[in-house]
Amino acid sequence: MIYSYITPKKKSIFTQEVQLLLSFFTITIVMLLMTYSFLVFKNYSFTQEKKSLSTQKVELEKSLLIMKDKIAYIEKQKMLSETIYTQNIVLKDSISNLFDLVPLRITLSEAQLLKNGLILYGITPNKDIYNFMLQAPLRSIFHRTYSSFYPAKDGWFRFVSTNYTDNEEELDNDE
Amino acid sequence: MLSNFLEALYHKVIVNIVIKRSSCDVYIEMCSKKALINSEMKSFDTTILNESMLEFIASYTKESPYSYLSILDMSPDQGAIPTCTKNRLPLYKDLASYEFKCLEENWTYYTSKSDLYEIEKVYKQVGVDFIFSPFTLLYKFFEDKVKSSFALFILVQDSFVSLSIFEDSLLVYAEHLDMETSIDDELLSQVMDDDEIELEESGGINLEEVDVIDDMEDLEDFGDIEDLDSLEEIDEFSQSQDIEEEFYEADEPIIESDDDSFNEDYQRFSLIQTSLGHYYKDKRYESQFVENVYIADGVGVSSDLKRYLEEEMFLNVYIRHLDIAMEVCALAKEELGL
Repeated sequence: MIYSYITPKKKSIFTQEVQLLLSFFTITIVMLLMTYSFLVFKNYSFTQEKKSLSTQKVELEKSLLIMKDKIAYIEKQKMLSETIYTQNIVLKDSISNLFDLVPLRITLSEAQLLKNGLILYGITPNKDIYNFMLQAPLRSIFHRTYSSFYPAKDGWFRFVSTNYTDNEEELDNDE
Repeated sequence: MLSNFLEALYHKVIVNIVIKRSSCDVYIEMCSKKALINSEMKSFDTTILNESMLEFIASYTKESPYSYLSILDMSPDQGAIPTCTKNRLPLYKDLASYEFKCLEENWTYYTSKSDLYEIEKVYKQVGVDFIFSPFTLLYKFFEDKVKSSFALFILVQDSFVSLSIFEDSLLVYAEHLDMETSIDDELLSQVMDDDEIELEESGGINLEEVDVIDDMEDLEDFGDIEDLDSLEEIDEFSQSQDIEEEFYEADEPIIESDDDSFNEDYQRFSLIQTSLGHYYKDKRYESQFVENVYIADGVGVSSDLKRYLEEEMFLNVYIRHLDIAMEVCALAKEELGL
């Protein structure tokens, strides 16, 4: 101070009215900023979620394809198993029928089931029993039947019966 | 930095209060750093801060947080001392209970601490920022004359007369005179001086005991006035008239006297005369003969005061009118660096 006896009071623009106004504006700005931040965060969150969902979608689509392949494979397997099952049943029936064909007096020692044929090894008391009781039904089943005998030590005959079925296609071709 | 920027956004409101004998002048200036924007002067018929004055002040101060209130110190117990040296101050005045400030490491002005507290208490509602001494106002008002001459400078207010003698901006003598109390004191001192005249029980005066010789000496001194009528003095007087014309007086006509102003001006003249007498007599002051008087007229003195001073004390009188409130405002602006 140059001339005055006292020092002037410190002046500030922050009067009570200005303070009230500033606090009002500050609260408003803070609220707006918070809302803005919330919206930005939400937007970011939604974008991330969208990205994640699209990735998930792609993955699911991939897995769906894999699943479809698997299903197709399983269906094929199922079909195959059914075929096998059917074949097995047919085979079982065939074997059962085969064993039903064999008379009590003939003993089989080995039977080989081929894709288109049947080879039987066994012992027969004599050739006639074999020819009448076994070869006759086999001939009715198979297209070609070959039998060969060789005598056993006890007077019986060991036999090998080879039977084939010709495929219809082959037959057609032959024709 | 930020506060300076914020300060620049607002105008400054300077409220200046000058208390008179029975009224109060409030001068308000609203200004920016560069220019005066608005100003208003209003007088109130009260000497205390009342509702209407508060309302008037508030109508301006509410417009800016940077509002300052300045007051001219009107307390009777104030003055100025022609030194700033601490060990020389007590030679003139014991300043233990006074607030004082040194100006230009040259002279000191002081006022009573209790009066300052009183002012701050009275204006607590609005808050006082500056309290100025009439001597600083006088010094600033006559700054051009103070720095280049030896003269008596007088600030004439409604009920006070602040008197100071400067020589090349050095204060030589100063006195603050309260018109009411000084007149009472003067009358009292006159009564005390006259105690040589003893009153008899009957109330009459014993004329034989009256010292006629002293009075005759005074009359002889008065007769010496004739010596002043030499040619040199007349020349000086005519020169001073020229200076006076250069000075403002020619533009500002002096008010013709009526009875009230005649009395007041006579009181002022008496006070000035007495005070100059003190100056001449007091050995603490290096007294020189004062030739020029510069009067800062804040009330509109009549031509009588000038005439008294010129005719009775043979002084060259220059009167410059001033609006005290505006000068207080100028001081406040200087304090604020505007």
